[in-house]
Amino acid sequence: MELQSQHFTRKAVAALADEAAAAQRDAMALFTPVVREAAVQQFGDFEALRQHVKRIRRHSLDNLDYYLARFELEATNNGNQVHYADSASELNSIVLDICQQHDARKVAKGKSMVTEETGLNDYLKRGGLEVIETDLGEYIIQQAGETPSHIVGPALHKSKEQVRELFLEKHALGERELESISDLVGEARSVLRDHFLQADIGIIGANALIAETGYSMLVTNEGNGDLCANLPRVLIICTTLDRILPRGEDATAVQRLLVRSATGQPQTCYTSFYSGPRRETELDGPLETHIVLLDNQRSDILASDYREMLQCIRCGACLNHCPIFTASGGHSYGWVYPGPMGSVLTPLLNSLEDTAALPNACTSCGRCAEVCPADIPLPDLLRDLRHQQSQENIGSPRWRMGLRLHAWVAARPGLYQFLTTRVMSILNKLGRRKGSFHKLPFASGWTDQRDFPSPQGESFMQQYKARRDDRE
Amino acid sequence: MSSESRSRIMARVRHASLGQNAAAIEAQLDDFGVAPAAELPHDDTCVAFMINVLRNQGSIDVAPQRVDVVKAVGQYIYRHYRSHRLVAGNDPHLAAMPWRDGGVLPRFGEIEPGEPVALSYAQWGVAETGATIFLSGRNNPARNNLLPEHHLVVLDVNQLLPDLESLWQQLEPAITGAERPRALFCIAGPSSTADIEAQLVCGAHGPRAWHVILTGEVRQEQLDTALDVLSSKKNPGGS
Ligand code: SF4
Repeated sequence: MELQSQHFTRKAVAALADEAAAAQRDAMALFTPVVREAAVQQFGDFEALRQHVKRIRRHSLDNLDYYLARFELEATNNGNQVHYADSASELNSIVLDICQQHDARKVAKGKSMVTEETGLNDYLKRGGLEVIETDLGEYIIQQAGETPSHIVGPALHKSKEQVRELFLEKHALGERELESISDLVGEARSVLRDHFLQADIGIIGANALIAETGYSMLVTNEGNGDLCANLPRVLIICTTLDRILPRGEDATAVQRLLVRSATGQPQTCYTSFYSGPRRETELDGPLETHIVLLDNQRSDILASDYREMLQCIRCGACLNHCPIFTASGGHSYGWVYPGPMGSVLTPLLNSLEDTAALPNACTSCGRCAEVCPADIPLPDLLRDLRHQQSQENIGSPRWRMGLRLHAWVAARPGLYQFLTTRVMSILNKLGRRKGSFHKLPFASGWTDQRDFPSPQGESFMQQYKARRDDRE
Repeated sequence: MSSESRSRIMARVRHASLGQNAAAIEAQLDDFGVAPAAELPHDDTCVAFMINVLRNQGSIDVAPQRVDVVKAVGQYIYRHYRSHRLVAGNDPHLAAMPWRDGGVLPRFGEIEPGEPVALSYAQWGVAETGATIFLSGRNNPARNNLLPEHHLVVLDVNQLLPDLESLWQQLEPAITGAERPRALFCIAGPSSTADIEAQLVCGAHGPRAWHVILTGEVRQEQLDTALDVLSSKKNPGGS
């Protein structure tokens, strides 16, 4: 997928101006944390589970050479063909080759952020294939010619009216009522059913790969991924190295965290494990199965200080709890992964220069780290990226100059206190009557959007000193 | 090409890994112990399973004897389709049911597009998740779980397991054997989606309804208890 993160600020401003869409995002931001919290409470000792999985994930990454070799061996013994793709384009060409070997015409796809990352759909289309996204959210945005706005609910930015208009325009089914959301789901169901039955190739992702047995785990509610995995004659699983876990029980432990964090459910409808092609005694299932393991910078991240990011289980909780994501919407981030996890991953998988705005799109409120089931210190990683940016002289010269000036003053406590006390006292005097400022010199970035509250007079250090003196 | 990429990727991964030997890695893994499971909503495993099935938008029939099972199946299909036909997997447990007593005419094999009801025999049930578990194979075509409008599942309560860890223990012989089952399905609800405005709708691509028929040593009172627990959770102030 083409990177658009350079335009984050412009896109965020436009997203904020669209009042209806902003209201829909606000509603989601109120709703999703509540359902997640309820599911976490109902679980029992969720923190113990989180720490257990964190230890397992860390252990798997620390010993990835061992587990990767084991997975490859077991998966091959199970009858799969295992492929390695160093880059996005290599994954795309491996998949197209397989399709061409089978003279395939139609591909049914389950939801896969990895293939969004590589831009597989466009590549296959250029290769002459018809590619149908079958997850309802993905199907909607594919029809609309858009990209996902959220890693779990790709079309949650669309209202039911917009989906209705889209279906009326795209499906040549004549006059019909599509009043309710279930009408819309029903229509997509009947249109997609034929595609499932006709597809030559099924493509799915994987939520985990199990080294000990070579199984891959797929977690869905719709069952579309399972239809893709069981009906077409060839199955291709596109995933990344970092999904590898040692044992089946580790995969289901991850699944416990994932469902509650992603949708607030205690359980998804379908959790399936696939080991390979149809067995001799079986009536159905694919005749040939491939697993394509994409690296695309992951082994570099593994060797870097950002290794913890590979523990991400793609639940989307950090998006749902992020004030910046809610305000700016997923599309503003300009690539596959939005929100806090995207602001870390996008620079690491692309370039720090082209994504300079993302690590800065953070209020450091810490909610993402609080809810992240993988216990990834997202605000710390974002800070480290900002630090790296500054060291590599990335960002506007004015901004860097300002930061340098701030750092210089902040490193001199006497001067810092002197200046802040003075400035605060002046602002307090000027703003006492109104209580806030509409405009301030050098601070238009703040006052263009909202008022700046006038300071209460004394600085923190002054108050602290006064209280300490009182106590003595 | 792919094999060169494999060597390059493997080399980078090896470089970033700790380089421990297999024995040390396995020992470390053992030390992590067992993951905590979700608390069961009831002390009785069967009631806990029922509560979770109902929470997962499923429905339940209690049918202790085989004849009760066929009657439950017959009534279910009649209620929804005014019919007595269904497709069932080749599982011997299903083949041995006294179908005539329930007035049901099963066809054994794979579901064809357009057939509305399929019946499967679950190998296990997991109370923690309210899931019914199937291994793919001759007796259990995957499409029978995925293509019908209504998916009916027979489960013997003897096969109920408390949590996912016990499931993996049960699976051990099958998945460490020479030929592993192609697929393992944990089905916990009708196919559903919340992709439009986060509103839950059942019947996304697969079954619109998922009905679990519990057989063996199971009593109607256990289902009543499960329903009571759920209604008291919904109305905590109610009696
Ligand atoms: S970073 Fe954490 S919260 Fe965000 S998607 Fe990944 S696992 Fe979920």
